[in-house]
Amino acid sequence: MDIALLKKLIKVVEQSKITEFSVQEGDLKVKISKNTNSNSFQGFPQPHHFTVAAPSVVEAPAKETKESVPVSAANLHEVRSPIVGTFYRAPAPDADAYAQVGDQITEGNVLCIVEAMKLMNEIESDASGKIVKILVENATPVEYNQPLFLIEKN
Amino acid sequence: MFKIEEFDIKLDTDVIGRNFYYFDEIDSTNSYLLDESNIKINGSVVLAENQLKGRGRRDRNWTSVKEQSLTFSILLNRNLNAKNINILNLGASLAVAQAIENLYQLDVELKWPNDILVGGKKVAGILLDAVSKGDKIEKVVVGFGINVNQPNFTGKFLIPATSIKLEFKRDSNRERLLSEILNFFESILIQIDKDKSKILSDWRARCKMIGEKIKITDSNGEKFGKFEDIDDEGFLLFESRGILEKIHFGDVSIRR
Repeated sequence: MDIALLKKLIKVVEQSKITEFSVQEGDLKVKISKNTNSNSFQGFPQPHHFTVAAPSVVEAPAKETKESVPVSAANLHEVRSPIVGTFYRAPAPDADAYAQVGDQITEGNVLCIVEAMKLMNEIESDASGKIVKILVENATPVEYNQPLFLIEKN
Repeated sequence: MFKIEEFDIKLDTDVIGRNFYYFDEIDSTNSYLLDESNIKINGSVVLAENQLKGRGRRDRNWTSVKEQSLTFSILLNRNLNAKNINILNLGASLAVAQAIENLYQLDVELKWPNDILVGGKKVAGILLDAVSKGDKIEKVVVGFGINVNQPNFTGKFLIPATSIKLEFKRDSNRERLLSEILNFFESILIQIDKDKSKILSDWRARCKMIGEKIKITDSNGEKFGKFEDIDDEGFLLFESRGILEKIHFGDVSIRR
């Protein structure tokens, strides 16, 4: 089973009312379950956990985060990646990050770069507000449409 | 001096290069086109004799030589499809390869993702910049650096450098070369929307690394394996100890 299929399955479960789902293909068993009890903050879908019983082909869940600030409002917006590539928070290895958790940003502000094959894609915010979470670790791969930043809209 | 009339007479495009800017000196042709306040017309081309801040990938420099190299960028801001962005990337290097083959009958090799080599040495490089608002790509700037009439190269390069003059054994006409590249580039843009597989197969046919044992160097270090193929999206499929990995970027070299 490849990562793309796994991600599709997670998405299907995510968008459905199913709370637990498991599938077996050969000796690879995948269980996807929605943890409806651990609420990290209000008004946003809870993080999904999945466990894999077999080869180490699975990356950490995309929604696992390193940085966050408490959120009061439910008015959240996800900034997503347009392309498959590598996520960078700064324009160059020794430069400062474009944006930090807690920063107040306006639509059009550059948030990060996604690089694919010598194409450096600057991602501007498509919303104004406060960055409440950075959903991806610096210099790690991202997929099409993967959420990168969580913004509490003004 | 760049003779614009000579360039114009050979330009056979509808869009690419029809809006043309020539600079004696500029920070970077890519940066100029990225700045929205400058130019907004799709297909605009900016050429500069000298770049004060010529860039390669992440922090690397690109050196232009007045009247000897071709340093230019193309602005694309219409009908951009994020799913085709890597094909555009490979297609840009293919356009340069086709132009050089056509004008000078040189044997051109393409190195993933978009280096252009002749005789194992780098004759041209490409750097793309894009701006997206959220998940929507708003513009792509394709920057080309081509070594045309340099008689020699001093300094240290990641890949040894060469010029068309050194390979072709005589001076070449920069105006003619630019128009030829833009003509091929526009054909490739049209091709992308029709049939991507043709671009991928034309690119593969010029890549001598496919099937070879390679070394990939990135910020995390080095890894060794086999260049299996490129996938339908243009990414490098890297095989190491029976595991196939999709490579987004990195310096690729043949392992000797």
